[in-house]
Amino acid sequence: MNVTVRQFKAMACACEIALADATEAEAALKAQHAIDEVLRIETKYSRYLKDSVVSKINAASGLGWVACDEETLHLLRYADTLYRTSAGLFDITSGILRRAWNFNTPRVPDQNELRPLLDKIGWSHVDLKSDNVRLSRTGMEIDFGGFGKEYAADRAAQILIDAGIAHGYVNLGGDIRVIGPKPDSSAWSFGIQHPRERQLIATIPMSGGALATSGDYERFFERDGRRYCHILNPKTGMPVSHWRSVSVLAPLAIAAGSCTTIAMLKEKDGLAFLNETGFPYFAIDHHGNTFRNATSVTPATA
Amino acid sequence: MQLRKLKQVRHLLKPARASASNASASGPAILLAAMSLMTLKPAVAEIAPDRGLMSLRYLDYQDSQPGENRIHVGATSAMVMVPLAGEWAVTGTYTTDSISGASPRYYTYDSNGKFPKMHDLRRAEDVSLTRYFSQGTATVGASYSKESDYISQGLSAQGTLSTEDKNTTFNFGTAVSNDEINPVNKIVIGERKHVLDMLAGVTQVFTPQDIVQFDLGHSMGDGYFSDPYKIFDNRPRSRNHTTAMLLWNHFFYATEGTGHLSYRYYSDTYDIRAHTLNASYDQPTASGWMLTPEVRLYSQSAAWFYLEPDPTARPYPTFPSYGSTYYSLDQRLSSFGAITLGFKVSKKIGSDWLADIKYEQYEQRNNWSVMGNSVPLDPFRARSIQFGLSCLF
Amino acid sequence: MNAHWVHVRRGGVRFVFLALLSGCATTAPVQPWEKGDLARPEMMFGQDPLDSAFTEHIYSSKEGASGGSGVGGGGCGCN
Repeated sequence: MNVTVRQFKAMACACEIALADATEAEAALKAQHAIDEVLRIETKYSRYLKDSVVSKINAASGLGWVACDEETLHLLRYADTLYRTSAGLFDITSGILRRAWNFNTPRVPDQNELRPLLDKIGWSHVDLKSDNVRLSRTGMEIDFGGFGKEYAADRAAQILIDAGIAHGYVNLGGDIRVIGPKPDSSAWSFGIQHPRERQLIATIPMSGGALATSGDYERFFERDGRRYCHILNPKTGMPVSHWRSVSVLAPLAIAAGSCTTIAMLKEKDGLAFLNETGFPYFAIDHHGNTFRNATSVTPATA
Repeated sequence: MQLRKLKQVRHLLKPARASASNASASGPAILLAAMSLMTLKPAVAEIAPDRGLMSLRYLDYQDSQPGENRIHVGATSAMVMVPLAGEWAVTGTYTTDSISGASPRYYTYDSNGKFPKMHDLRRAEDVSLTRYFSQGTATVGASYSKESDYISQGLSAQGTLSTEDKNTTFNFGTAVSNDEINPVNKIVIGERKHVLDMLAGVTQVFTPQDIVQFDLGHSMGDGYFSDPYKIFDNRPRSRNHTTAMLLWNHFFYATEGTGHLSYRYYSDTYDIRAHTLNASYDQPTASGWMLTPEVRLYSQSAAWFYLEPDPTARPYPTFPSYGSTYYSLDQRLSSFGAITLGFKVSKKIGSDWLADIKYEQYEQRNNWSVMGNSVPLDPFRARSIQFGLSCLF
Repeated sequence: MNAHWVHVRRGGVRFVFLALLSGCATTAPVQPWEKGDLARPEMMFGQDPLDSAFTEHIYSSKEGASGGSGVGGGGCGCN
């Protein structure tokens, strides 16, 4: 069986779907359905589209309840689980800090700039009641950027599984969900980006499950010898700095991705958290030391 | 199907747990929450239902003309849909109607309690089997209905076929029915009626908020169409009709409500032509209710053999003119117009239950017709109340 | 007279059908990821079969016209 690979752009990332099916035409059609699902999620939850679900919820902040469909409710409940599991560090209302942090210009916002934004952050100000959600403070915003890409990878993979695909993977900008091994039963091999150099730091063979990575190298600027990255603590409004990169292997991409982000946010407590999750991980701290609990992660011989 | 997905995920979960030396709550908590996301049905793909549906509906109908209540109908319908083997669904419906009251033997402008009293019970069963394909469906069905004086048996076949982008769906169907009529007054015995129906249409997605359906139907009937309980009723033994129906659903971003507009054109070989316009609007509220006001406008022309009442003959019925073969005094064959106003309230209870109540008020008047001028009879009014309850299982 | 009428009607039907098809040609096809609102139950046709069955049954027993939206289901002595 041939492996069909489709490359496309979605959620501001280079994406790839690989799958093996009896015929190339069937494979192309099934891959298209999976891509359509990724684009559906992107459109439905985009912050940039005024008719998106997220925009409607945000537009009603401080005003009243917004009725939600089942998928949105599930995502909100998932966000609630992450908030509680991370002791309030993973907070989908923290995106508003984007207004102070623009990673295109190396400027560190001062407290006067951050304070009014921090007042509008807090999952505890979001009320969920049966099929409805309410942002109780005017000007609050939620967004699903923290796990939307990983969720899309899982949903796309599920579409392929339902269509009878047993061999393949979905890779959305490094968030990977494997459907099954290569047609010859051997594992796919995925690399983990070196956080400082343009090369791989490790490779991971995978026959199932998911791999996600968070790092301080995705969006950042450096000023006065300090790196300011895009992962921001919702309590201080400041970037995290302990980890250069965290990768986690889990059954679902959304679970893997959430764990990497929480580990980054927990800074030095992130290691204990990773051990506690029980998932295999590979992490690099700000000194360049690597930590891992899985034999399956092999350092790349660069 | 959901269970199967969960099993796949659980299977994946094991090696992760095994590899951890000091696993505790957060990993499984996150994974469990993530797994519940994966049980949602994909919104795009058109797939066979993965859960069964059970519905129960009750109708209370009462019609009246000035000074007199006429027919009362209490009907109960139960439907069960069960998905089978991922690609099939079987649906069964059972309906009982209890009809009581009085039906006029001729025009109703001079009723004075002369309607003969009647009571009847109807039982109807309907089963269908649907097969789901990647780009379409195929359904076969059978139906049976029995009253004391009327038995109807029917078979039907329907299909849909979608384009690859699922924006266009073609619908087609055909049905035959074979009825036997044995009126209790024995005016005729063992009469028969055969009807063949055909329908073809297309459903088109026009914009992310507009979907339109157009259906053309043709029906050919042979046999006994007369009303055995009315005096002077002899109708042609062949009745064919053609319908053209246009339905349009529009989603309003501003209110998150949905508007439904439909128009039907009807024409038959009795020379009845009819326009039906229906408009309704679904407004969801924040607390999970759905409010649906509805209005329906109807107008028809008279059948060519409808006997217009002769006011000089009152209080006796108008007699058919000498030598005429076909005639009927049935008000339903006169030209008239009708207006329905309705309101439906439904509420989702939890994720699996749906309950609704619907009230409709109907009125028929001869001078409301836009396509004929039958002699005005008494206005005819009806009101109906429906209660519905359905659940997924 | 009837035959003549049927001819006129067919012309009308053809016109509606062409209008529908040309509508498809002029608007951009809706993409799968734009179908979130179309997937709402209210946007589907024939969502409540028991409700429609009762309603159609009432109208077909009180009016001259019937049919138009489906086939099958069986007849009764009421019309």
